[in-house]
Amino acid sequence: MRGTLIIFRRELAGLFAAPLAWILLFVALLLNGLLFSLVLNQTQGDVTASLEFVFGGNFFFWALMLVLSPLLAMRLLTEEAASGTLEYLRTAPVSDAAVVTGKFLAGTAFMATLWSSLLIYAAALALWGVAPDWGQVVTIFLGSVLCSALFVAIGLVACSLTNIPLLGAFLAFMACLWWVLMPALGGMLLVQMRVLFADLFGSFEVAEAWIGGALERMDVRRHFGNSYFQGVLDSAEVIFFLTWISLFLFLTTRSLEARRWRG
Amino acid sequence: MIEVSHLTRRFGSLLAVDDVSFTLEAGEVVGFLGPNGAGKTTAMRMLTGYLAATSAETLKVAGYDVLRDSLEVRKHIGYLPESVPLYSEMRVQEMMVFQGRLHGMSRGDLRRRVSEVLERVGVLDRSRQLVGHLSRGLRQRVGLAVALLPNPEVLILDEPTSGLDPLQRAEVRRLIRDLAGEHTVLLSSHILAEVESMSERVIILRQGRVVADGGREDLIATLGGQGHVRMEAVVGDAEAARDLLASLPGVEEVQITERVGIHDGFTLRGGGDLREDVGALAAQKGWALRELSEQRPSLESLFAALVLGEGPLEEARAAPTAAVVEPVAPQATSGKGLDLLPETPADDAPALGTVGQKDNFYSLNPFDGGGGRDLSKPVSSSDASDEGCEEEEEDEA
Repeated sequence: MRGTLIIFRRELAGLFAAPLAWILLFVALLLNGLLFSLVLNQTQGDVTASLEFVFGGNFFFWALMLVLSPLLAMRLLTEEAASGTLEYLRTAPVSDAAVVTGKFLAGTAFMATLWSSLLIYAAALALWGVAPDWGQVVTIFLGSVLCSALFVAIGLVACSLTNIPLLGAFLAFMACLWWVLMPALGGMLLVQMRVLFADLFGSFEVAEAWIGGALERMDVRRHFGNSYFQGVLDSAEVIFFLTWISLFLFLTTRSLEARRWRG
Repeated sequence: MIEVSHLTRRFGSLLAVDDVSFTLEAGEVVGFLGPNGAGKTTAMRMLTGYLAATSAETLKVAGYDVLRDSLEVRKHIGYLPESVPLYSEMRVQEMMVFQGRLHGMSRGDLRRRVSEVLERVGVLDRSRQLVGHLSRGLRQRVGLAVALLPNPEVLILDEPTSGLDPLQRAEVRRLIRDLAGEHTVLLSSHILAEVESMSERVIILRQGRVVADGGREDLIATLGGQGHVRMEAVVGDAEAARDLLASLPGVEEVQITERVGIHDGFTLRGGGDLREDVGALAAQKGWALRELSEQRPSLESLFAALVLGEGPLEEARAAPTAAVVEPVAPQATSGKGLDLLPETPADDAPALGTVGQKDNFYSLNPFDGGGGRDLSKPVSSSDASDEGCEEEEEDEA
């Protein structure tokens, strides 16, 4: 725990010490702000609709999450492996789990900083205009942070597999993209399979319902849209994210440990 | 302090470290020496727990098992990998504080120790500088400071002097020599002189195996065996002289090497220092000695041969050191009261090269093969060199 905290602090400082973090933040905030004011004008001052559109309601929100999280994971893990500092960390008296958790928390904290723009917009609106639905604002923020945490965790697994930063970032991006698109792709596949299996076995309904249900339950966007986006803080939804995050962090730790054997 | 026995590590089909065993006592400074790819880094990484061993009977550092108590081991070691991994975006001071926190040092302890260690490695004035802006040598020193900070019992330094200029090398070497006694140090290098200047004991690795372990003399003995005694003298009948030499106690093998002018060359192998006995025999028989020296293979040449991968190191054995010519004058040896000496009166054996030698001095020797030589002229090896040339020509043809 102590080790996690020390590493978290260092990693966060490390992220903000590099100009890359500031550039990413600047560009993201600029685009987000432009988009927000644009939508606010178009909806003629519908505060709730504008906030919803900018945070979770449009393509840009997800694109930002899908691009930034893998880059962060790459910076946190693969770059360190390439520069050798991972060797330093892994011969220091901290467990691999502490290293992974510390890095994950730092990545999540960075993403939380990014999404905190939502709170700033809401505060600005409350100050000079209509007060937004604060409950919804807070749950959307929380949901965004949990979502990006999941993507950072997925990215860390992918990045722990390689020592080449570019490859790590690419793998992480593909993994995150796959995670988001999986329900849609899975659904398409199921439709194709239905025809095939109907010919072979007569019926495919039980299996289809089961697989379809499983895919639907893994759908991050649905989980985000059904609760956080609506302003509902559902413990089941929190557990959903936390469970997957724990699994991926566990896999990252194992993958790092496997390096001791692989060399 | 470090206990390793039957340590093996495979990378797929490659056997990087092959059944390595050694022990380091507390306060000892030991150098790992070997060509690139000999398994030095792999062995060190296994000691730090960064890599797992494929198999090992014992792998203990500071009394803890590396596999079972990895965290405990890591608390007691300071490890400086070859690449000197430091966070380039941090200041030297920050890097040190981070290391101290990882090792659970208290705030006050940390503050005192940071300046102490930075002072010791000579980078105290750079403590506010970004690590990324430091030169290679300074980085190396900061890396050493980071490894030293928690005052570890064991220091593992992988190529601590690589990539440094000669001046910086000397400084790092001095620093490491200073650490002896306080810490147990295991360091590696592929340069013999480097390792020797820092540590008394050297472990030579080659293709993952320990080839030799010990001080300079032990290494020479293990790698190249004994040296040999070289004798060059006017002996007349070389064959007879060889038999005589072979009859000396301790002599195992006598070879006639070459004949230059009137001088026959012999190579004697055997236990102990044979020079005294050979000298005494020469004095007794009245052989005019031109050279009597012990030729020892140098560690440098042995190691060079090892790096080149030559099997039984014959090349290195043959490579001579700067031969010390020790003419044995009977007067000198008689003073030491050797029993064998001297039947030939001192008057008859003037120091060679003195003016006023009797022209026919050598002809007194019944075995004299070179008695006909005109001693008023310098030894002309014209005959020999002519022969040599002819041989070369024949070879070419």
